[in-house]
Amino acid sequence: MTISVYVPAALSLLLAAISRIVVGRIAPTRAVVFVVAAMLCAAASTWGLVLLSATLLGDTSMVAEEASERGVQLQDPVPQLIGVTAVVLLVSGVFRVVRVLRARRATTQELRAVCSSCGTGELAVVALAAPHAFAVPGRPGRILVTQGLLSVLDGDERRVVLAHERAHLQSRHHWLRAATEVSAALNPVLIPVREAVAFLVERSADEHAAAVTGSRRLVAAAIAKVALAGGADGGVRAWSAALPFVGCGVSARVAALHADPPRPEPLVPSSVLALGVATAIAAVQATMAFYQLVYWLWPS
Amino acid sequence: MATRASRSSRTPARRAAGELEAEVLAALWAADGPLTAARAREAVGGELAYNTVQTILVRLYEKGLIGRVADGRRHEYFAVKGAEELAAEQMQALLSRGRDRQAVLQRFATSLSVEDARLLQAMLRRRR
Repeated sequence: MTISVYVPAALSLLLAAISRIVVGRIAPTRAVVFVVAAMLCAAASTWGLVLLSATLLGDTSMVAEEASERGVQLQDPVPQLIGVTAVVLLVSGVFRVVRVLRARRATTQELRAVCSSCGTGELAVVALAAPHAFAVPGRPGRILVTQGLLSVLDGDERRVVLAHERAHLQSRHHWLRAATEVSAALNPVLIPVREAVAFLVERSADEHAAAVTGSRRLVAAAIAKVALAGGADGGVRAWSAALPFVGCGVSARVAALHADPPRPEPLVPSSVLALGVATAIAAVQATMAFYQLVYWLWPS
Repeated sequence: MATRASRSSRTPARRAAGELEAEVLAALWAADGPLTAARAREAVGGELAYNTVQTILVRLYEKGLIGRVADGRRHEYFAVKGAEELAAEQMQALLSRGRDRQAVLQRFATSLSVEDARLLQAMLRRRR
């Protein structure tokens, strides 16, 4: 097989590194670029694993010998160990995807159940002291908040929360997150991209809320208040501390809202997209090399 | 969509009726007790007309999302906590799920490290 079968894995590493570096600086609306690149990388690397696994089906070294006897230089055949490793990675990836999709579906269903016990209308309020707010996708999407969150904020700040969650619903951010979650499940190298997208959609909703309310400082204050009010919630802290990103949390969002509004940079998105396309090309090349191998395996 | 595109980034946007309903409902939930229309208007904030708030309160009442008590000639409105316990239990269960499920939840704000909390507190104090 050619080296191109391994290229998507290498490019995934590169994409992960880039997303770590630029996540704090890029305009939040560019999140979609990372989503597309992550999906291409995940698809290409998974396809590479499929190809490598498939080589186990036939004795490739014999084929290569036969081919070279006939004067055809087949690119280096795949050692069996790599084939087996590919199978293991592939199976564990599929397992993780199933787990992610199940968790997503179950969580959405539970959120909807909570909403439907809270009357009709856009806003669903639960009488809980812990401050939480969620956008619950659906037809129509709803905003689920706790009484605790509403009572720590004033009228303008409550408007921020509503605008932020509406932005998630209107821009269908749950699809962007789902796509990167599945990508990272298939290819764990892409986990930093998933975290970057999770951060960028929050930033994007923050900027939308700032545009709606007319004040970025107000949005920053609302986020800070809710975060501080939730400080006693030890369980949540344990999970968020486990995230690989340190600088991508609430304080980074607040800092970004205190800085100048983000300006779109044309260079980063196009280079990220180019990376995604490169992985796709590599996948096609690997497929062609594989086809050549198959052709020698089963000469009809 | 056209209205959003024409919004200036500085002036607050005019709010649609559905959005206002959510804001008024949120204000009633945040309040300690029943509110008159005038108090509800203050709690919502912004420059809403008294009549607008009054209309929304009546609409929310007709939908059964809020209740009201008569106080002399005026009405006082309050959030209806109908299925309070069921919803709270469901939510509590949701929040105490394992790590897979927590990762899916997209929170408005997660809680903080001690250092972050100090930074944010300082920021909020500066704002006052």
